[in-house]
Amino acid sequence: MNAIRMRGTIRHRSRSLLVVALGLALAAGSAFSQPKKDNKPADKKGDKAPKGSAAPKGGSAEEGIEIDEPKGGGSGGGGGSAGGTIDMEEEEKPAGTLEQELSATNTQGAVKAGEVKKTPISWKDILVVVRKPFLKVRRTELYPFVAVTMNDNMITHYAVGGEFAYYLTDVLAIGVEGQYYAHNFNEPFDLVARQARRLPTVNQYNWSAALDFHYVPVYGKFAVFDRSLVAWEVFFTAGVGAGQSEVIPRDTKFPGFTNILIQPNAGAAMRFFPTKWLTLTLGIRDYMFIDKFEPTNRSPTMNATAAEAKDNADSAFINNIMFQIGISFWLPTSFEYTTFR
Amino acid sequence: MKTPIFLAALIGATLVQSSVARADEGSKRRLNNLHNDVAVRHRRLLVANRFEFAPLFESTINPDFQHILGAGAKLEYHLGDMLSLGVVGLVSAGPMQFNTKLTDRIVPTLETSSDDMTREPSQSEFNAHLNKMPVHGAAYISITPWYGKLAAFSAAYVAFDFYFQAGVSYAQLTSDCPSSICDDPSPGMPRPGPGGETIPADNNPNNDPPLNSGTRIGLYLGGGVHVFLSDFLALDLTIRDYAFSDNPSGADYNADLFVGHNETTGDDDNRFLHHLFFGAGISIMIPFTVKRTP
Repeated sequence: MNAIRMRGTIRHRSRSLLVVALGLALAAGSAFSQPKKDNKPADKKGDKAPKGSAAPKGGSAEEGIEIDEPKGGGSGGGGGSAGGTIDMEEEEKPAGTLEQELSATNTQGAVKAGEVKKTPISWKDILVVVRKPFLKVRRTELYPFVAVTMNDNMITHYAVGGEFAYYLTDVLAIGVEGQYYAHNFNEPFDLVARQARRLPTVNQYNWSAALDFHYVPVYGKFAVFDRSLVAWEVFFTAGVGAGQSEVIPRDTKFPGFTNILIQPNAGAAMRFFPTKWLTLTLGIRDYMFIDKFEPTNRSPTMNATAAEAKDNADSAFINNIMFQIGISFWLPTSFEYTTFR
Repeated sequence: MKTPIFLAALIGATLVQSSVARADEGSKRRLNNLHNDVAVRHRRLLVANRFEFAPLFESTINPDFQHILGAGAKLEYHLGDMLSLGVVGLVSAGPMQFNTKLTDRIVPTLETSSDDMTREPSQSEFNAHLNKMPVHGAAYISITPWYGKLAAFSAAYVAFDFYFQAGVSYAQLTSDCPSSICDDPSPGMPRPGPGGETIPADNNPNNDPPLNSGTRIGLYLGGGVHVFLSDFLALDLTIRDYAFSDNPSGADYNADLFVGHNETTGDDDNRFLHHLFFGAGISIMIPFTVKRTP
């Protein structure tokens, strides 16, 4: 899609427009306007333009809206995506622009002498692209959540947790999280014992904490039942932290022991934006660590104490994948746009 | 300062006047291709009144004893923008079905040969009772309540939709327990002996036929997302739940010391279980051209 450039060439154009206006006043005693058929919306807008919108700061004349000629003639249809870029920067033009401006004026549009019609066109009156409905930059997210294990068919952990995240930019955040775990045994835990006569060796998780970095590469919006629009985004998380696991002894005569775990984590999540201060987040996080399990051979004479059992523990690399869902509260509760529409 | 402005004004006035006539004739402005476009585009009807054919792969999510990878296809007709009917079917064979980590950890600890004096299954008894799922599928109705578009890395703009499905599931289960292992002729029941005496039930479920093979009909639920790569191609990601009666271990589940239906209690070792799969495929929308909302 070709770019639409809105040139605020106030410095250069204001002088030439002033000159032309003055010339018109002298020669014909009338102002000029663009042919009506070419800018109907602008005319309409112009009629209802708010006070002051026609005279931007820094210039006494109106700003021009210029649409560049397409380069290469790409199709404007395509995927229905508004892929055009809008350049609102003031462009410097080479010296000697008077002739160029005049000739450009001549070639660009017809000038009609006659009845004066005020058409204060301003880019401020034209909604070009809807802005992102939610800004996160320099805001803090308070994210209480609940989570559940997805990939352990012996024991399911449920977690209650929270995270504070500060958004350095609209797409990058740093945060700290903490979780407290509870657990429940699944059907195979009993089945293996009953059917195969084997007692599973499992650990429970007690708590975990982590420092996380979030990156938001994907955002979008969707319509629900063809009615309301909901904005959403996808973000990725990577972090590192620590946690504690605890051996659940197969034989309760023997004591369990705890392990402190170093836990890198990575994940992805979706966030939905119902309001400016509240969002719904759900995602998946993989907490990775090397855990120590109760040794297979444990008897009154072997690995009887917690210390002995821990020394002879079996280690294994664990991916604890958890589904998380929660509601985020954002501070400050509102935000202001700092860019033009 | 005033002189050049005045001169310029005169020149400007002359040029303007000379251009009036041309303006009346309708001179051409420099316009880009958006000039004739509408301010608000009509939405592409990416699914409405189109067939969707999607070759796909599936993998079980967190199974107990057997991982299943399936290959197959989905065929769906979208009656409108939100409603569709479809079928999905997958096959799995050979190395596409393999033991879970749990199975691999249990089996080496079991005794190598069968011992009827213990309640512990042998390695061969345990493995022979596990069932596999060579064919599974579903017929369903699907609703697409959410659709939208997303920007990835502020560069790629793609349309997507979320859909939810419900219907009837189908599965073909197989277990292959040879008669040398599953040799109990009347599990859980006394049987007549060669001399006319009654031989009581052996109370050993490890030599009972697993009874976990055959055709299963059940409930199907699914949910997924289309990410449209073009007007007629979409990445299709789905979570599917095929729920039907099953006993994946083929062993005694209800602790009545045999495998099968218990006439006394009404219990059965087969029970209603959910079989979760994750599927990924490429949807081809037919016809290839897309219509827009009127």
